[in-house]
Amino acid sequence: MNEDNVTLTIDRVTKKFDDFVAVDELSLQVRAGRIFGLIGPNGAGKTTTIRMIVNILAPDSGRIELFGEAMSERLQDRIGYLPEERGLYKKMRVGEQLRYFGELKGLSAREAETRLDHWLARLKLSEWKNHKTNELSKGMQQKIQFIATVMHDPDLLILDEVFSGLDPVNAELMKDVLLELKADRRTIIFSTHMMSQAEELCDDICLINRSRKVLQGSLREVKSSFGRRAVALRAEGGDEVLKDTRLVAGVKPYGDYVEVLLADGADAQELLHRLIESGARVMRFEQVEPSLHDIFLQKVGESA
Amino acid sequence: MKKLLVIIKQEYFNRVRTKYFIISSLLGPLIMVGFTVVPGLLFSMKTGGATKVAVVDLTGKLYEGVRESIMTSRERGDEGEKKVETTSATGATDSGEGMRLAAKALGVSYEVEEVKADGRPLDEIKNELNARVRNNKLGVYIVLPEKILEEGRAEYYGRNVSDVITTSQLRYSLNRAIVEQRLSDANIDRNRVRQLSKEIKMETTKVSESGLERDSGGGFGMAMFIGIFIYMAILMYGQVILSSVVEEKTTRVSEVLFSSVRPFHLMLGKLLGVALVAITQYAIWAVLFGAFALYGVGMLAASGMDVPLPNVPLSFVIYGLLFFVLGFLMYATIYVLVAAMVTTEKEAGQMAMPVIFLSIISIYMAFPVIRSPNSSFSFWVSIAPFFSPITMLVRIVTETPPFWQIALSLGIGLASVVFFVWVAARIYRVGMLMYGKSASIPEVMRWLRQG
Repeated sequence: MNEDNVTLTIDRVTKKFDDFVAVDELSLQVRAGRIFGLIGPNGAGKTTTIRMIVNILAPDSGRIELFGEAMSERLQDRIGYLPEERGLYKKMRVGEQLRYFGELKGLSAREAETRLDHWLARLKLSEWKNHKTNELSKGMQQKIQFIATVMHDPDLLILDEVFSGLDPVNAELMKDVLLELKADRRTIIFSTHMMSQAEELCDDICLINRSRKVLQGSLREVKSSFGRRAVALRAEGGDEVLKDTRLVAGVKPYGDYVEVLLADGADAQELLHRLIESGARVMRFEQVEPSLHDIFLQKVGESA
Repeated sequence: MKKLLVIIKQEYFNRVRTKYFIISSLLGPLIMVGFTVVPGLLFSMKTGGATKVAVVDLTGKLYEGVRESIMTSRERGDEGEKKVETTSATGATDSGEGMRLAAKALGVSYEVEEVKADGRPLDEIKNELNARVRNNKLGVYIVLPEKILEEGRAEYYGRNVSDVITTSQLRYSLNRAIVEQRLSDANIDRNRVRQLSKEIKMETTKVSESGLERDSGGGFGMAMFIGIFIYMAILMYGQVILSSVVEEKTTRVSEVLFSSVRPFHLMLGKLLGVALVAITQYAIWAVLFGAFALYGVGMLAASGMDVPLPNVPLSFVIYGLLFFVLGFLMYATIYVLVAAMVTTEKEAGQMAMPVIFLSIISIYMAFPVIRSPNSSFSFWVSIAPFFSPITMLVRIVTETPPFWQIALSLGIGLASVVFFVWVAARIYRVGMLMYGKSASIPEVMRWLRQG
């Protein structure tokens, strides 16, 4: 991996609260211009990890490097952070609020004004600029929070449950914006419980559970290295073959097809060969990857 | 540094532009005048016109003198008028005297009638008069027994004996009449006595480092005024800080803010921004008060009255501002600390009670300090954190202490502000990200130790 391409390096970072170890010897790298999924069950240490990345908390030990520099106050301006719990001043007007957040990220008041107008238009919220925040719906507030996260044009975006509270139309709008930012070489760290979203958007993932890293790599690598291999099969006959435990670990029926889990060391080609040999009529034979959802369940289950 | 300015600017303008601020800045002086003057006025207000007084003179020779004394107590108060200021200003004279003078100033009037005994028994007369009092035909009646000149005992009957103003005024008038009668019985000329017993006027002059100043006790009023001023600012704006911090915590805005700026800057920006709001409001009030005062003095001067303007040296204003800011920061920092520990505004209110008590105590401390500004008690209290802003200012106004004491007080005050800001910053940083339940004291101590 080329060092220039690395946005964030976390190196053996540990954080304790009194006796509770929230993050234990965590190491990971986030590459520039990619969407990185930080996934894990509740209480796994995601929020603590994120808070250390945005410099709200300092690690007890280990090193965090951003853009090749040690973490510092100055680097905070290059990060945009959307926390899971939304934080907006309820009684402040939308425009005023965004201008303040922009200025806190180092923008001048005028610059902030231009940017927020641009983004309000982009997310179709222009007419709400002079309304107080508590007059807005939850989804709209979510979009306002998102503008506060991106308006200063950060190189690293950290989004915790960015789609919560959005209807499908707005979720799609948000997804477009994220892909646009990615195309513009921004790095995005994406934290969620929704595995389908992570699967859809992420290039790389890291699964943490009980304050430790369980799994890391590109989505492709993770899936292909994952031990559980399956074949979606629709066939008439060949039942004998499916009972061969050297080849098949299990069969799960799904409507008009079955999912065949291959035994350790078994080859899908051999299974196909044997099925045809046995005279079965094969109508569907497709190697399926495990979903992120399955991986999550299995990995979290294993380490529990 | 640039971000600190952004925060101060935001905290300041966000508050100054609110309707609440504008209205309270304009109406504040009116409300304050209302709170201080109206209860006094109400208390001394006598409704329903002149009080009817009946006098039963069993000696047969005192009535004329008593009537004259009661009826003239107003016109004769020439020297008394001045005394109103001095007595109420020193606050030390007997309260009945003050009441009498207050009544005179307010123009309480009497109608006096004589009830002749004509040989009837006293009880019969009393019954008749009691009936009149019950029917509200009569306010009070006084019985002057035969031996009043020797024994000095009179009887006062009235429906309302808690009206201290009336009782003390009548007692005074009666007393004067009796004394004059005794004098004339001893063949001493009444007018000569009056002339000889004319009260003296005392002109009070304050001796301070910078020379002599005429001062008729105005220092007391000013010292108290400043004390209450600071106390009010602490209460009002401490509350503003408290709810603002709690809001940022409960809405989780703090998490967004902390990802952009250091918690310390955020806290400091809030403290300074709100302090500026308080100063702005007080400056507006001072200007409005000044305008009222000048207008009032101008009106009085136009009507031919000579009103001395209170003499406020520039140093008082500067010290006032310094101790005001110091006191404000001291208390406001504690409010931040409290707010960072709790999770709801309601809890914050409860937790803030000790802070409010502390500020009330420091108002009480001001009283002994006014009486003896140079005692060792006054010295210690005026350099102690939390008490010094009010008590040192009171000392400066009443009897300016040596400069080193003021400097010491400022120095200790500043050091404790720095210390409390440091403590509060550590608690704030951790507490603002702790949701769910309020922190316990041991927990807070652990946050303090965390690096």
